[in-house]
Amino acid sequence: MAKYVIKRLLLLIPILLGVSAIIFVLKTLTPGDPARQILGNDATEEQISAKREELGLNDPVIVQYVRYVGNIVTRGDFGTSYRTNEPVLSEIIPRLWTSAKITLGAVAIGAILGILLGILSALRKYTWVDSLVLVISMFFQSVPEFVVGLVLITVFAVKLHILPAAGIDTPLGYIMPMLCIGLSSVASYTRITRSSMLEVLSEDYIRTARAKGQTEKNITYHHALRNAMIPVAQSIGTSLGNSIGGGMVLETVFSVPGVGKYIVDSINQRNYPSVLGGALVIAIVLTVINLLVDLSFILIDPRLKSTIISGGASKPKKAKVAEA
Amino acid sequence: MSETKESILKIKNLVIHYETDEEVVEAVNNISLDIGKGEVLGLVGETGAGKTTTALGIMGLLPDKVGHVVQGNIFLEGEDLLRKSNREMQKIRGKKISMIFQDPMTALNPVKTVGDQIAEVVLLHNHCSKAEALTRAQEMLAMVGIVPERYRDYPHQFSGGMKQRIVIAIALACEPDLLIADEPTTALDVTIQAQILDMMRKLQREHGTSMILITHDLGVVAEICDHCAVMYAGEIVEYGTLEQVFDRPKHPYTRALYQSIPSLDKDVERLHVIPGLVPDPSNLPPYCSFCERCGEKKGVCSKYDTSIVEVEPGHLAKCLMYSPSWKEAE
Repeated sequence: MAKYVIKRLLLLIPILLGVSAIIFVLKTLTPGDPARQILGNDATEEQISAKREELGLNDPVIVQYVRYVGNIVTRGDFGTSYRTNEPVLSEIIPRLWTSAKITLGAVAIGAILGILLGILSALRKYTWVDSLVLVISMFFQSVPEFVVGLVLITVFAVKLHILPAAGIDTPLGYIMPMLCIGLSSVASYTRITRSSMLEVLSEDYIRTARAKGQTEKNITYHHALRNAMIPVAQSIGTSLGNSIGGGMVLETVFSVPGVGKYIVDSINQRNYPSVLGGALVIAIVLTVINLLVDLSFILIDPRLKSTIISGGASKPKKAKVAEA
Repeated sequence: MSETKESILKIKNLVIHYETDEEVVEAVNNISLDIGKGEVLGLVGETGAGKTTTALGIMGLLPDKVGHVVQGNIFLEGEDLLRKSNREMQKIRGKKISMIFQDPMTALNPVKTVGDQIAEVVLLHNHCSKAEALTRAQEMLAMVGIVPERYRDYPHQFSGGMKQRIVIAIALACEPDLLIADEPTTALDVTIQAQILDMMRKLQREHGTSMILITHDLGVVAEICDHCAVMYAGEIVEYGTLEQVFDRPKHPYTRALYQSIPSLDKDVERLHVIPGLVPDPSNLPPYCSFCERCGEKKGVCSKYDTSIVEVEPGHLAKCLMYSPSWKEAE
């Protein structure tokens, strides 16, 4: 197990090197001079070239890159924001926390609603209940998140004055962004749960349970649900990672100071250390979340335990790894 | 059928159809069976003959919405199972009638320990604590030849033969009166097959359990059954004691089956095959369903159907050659 965790964490090294290298290349290809951006249009040529020297922008890209990676490895220094002169990491951490809270809430809303609706439509397959659930969940999936966001703001903030329109000054501010992201993901959880439940309910071991004289209720919740949750858990893991870093649009709509908005703002300001730092932190978080999700599968599916403890030759993707 | 024996299960004129929008599959056509207490009945037939459907019909586990019992009765110790509510059937399943399914690889829940899966059936039908049920589970494991300490293990940690032993342990945990074993050894390799059959026979004798053994392997029937029923296209075409059916087969299909068994001492180029295919159960002929493939047929065979008749005491066959019209044709 420990071996597996270490192996997975070591994978972070090539991932982070790749991410940072891509952003470094992009940075050199993008027009515009960060030194001029910092000093403004009134600065003289001497001031700008002095600033470029200070920032190390005159060195070859490869030297800049090695220096950057070296600073992270030796001092945990992700660079200094051009705009605020604050260390990038100390700017990102609180924003990451904000994004994480919204994401956790959103995934919880989406997953709980989705799983419940999915079970309901699986148990009532091909009836009007099933169709109704499909229509509702497809509706929320097909309407873009920001449209749902704007509708929510119009209704709850502008008309009803129940919730704040923007910002997270009060805990109430979290509700709308969470709802917005959560509702848009209900459809996918519903469909995964439904198809997975239907598949599991047709398995032989469900027939065995019936042959034991087990009640339908216990068959659904004790025998089928846990098996059916394996693909759902996988999907939860993926969307946890995606929405922490990918909440740019909604964080802008709701003026939430999250990590997504931070990166977008930094790109506009050519604040490269912040962009790089943000991207790397997100990559680390994503990898760690994926690892935690994979480890959590052991709790659901005992077959994976032997695969993982024995060194985990490959990342277990499907539940039926051990059962050939 | 002799009237003296005390019967545990009596099936009367059972008809089961699978109905979909496109077609009606006549899976079981008017079969009657009588299984005595402590008796082992072999139900033999090709794939699609209706053996498993009959078993699922007895258990009340026909596929939802598609499978229907069209007519007939299934009496378990005099009570008609077809008149029972689902709740009443839940009390019977696992307690009075147990079933062992064909494929042990998929019959166990992969995320539950085998101990829990055996204890589950004990808890359902007995008033006892979880701890007592687990103790019973360990006893059952020992009975089927598995180290009781392994009750904490999951199904994937066992081999195929051991999984089938666990399935048998589940089926026998509440000491059922009737055990239906649906091809219990088909998915296992030959050496394991013999072990499992020996064990089932031993447990059956020790507990006096009645048993229906569904198989397409005549060797298995010869080994452990007292009676034998041969099914073809949803009908029972021959029924009798092991001796009657094996030594004096009366139906042309049964005879053809014996000819198809490879012999160890005779050197033959090709094995005997029964020509043709089983008729499509969604489109059965109005005459004898074996007629097209029969080596002993006559003109009347493609005109009429017949019902099963007693050809010697306790030995039944469903063939026109035992009806008056056969003699007229001669």
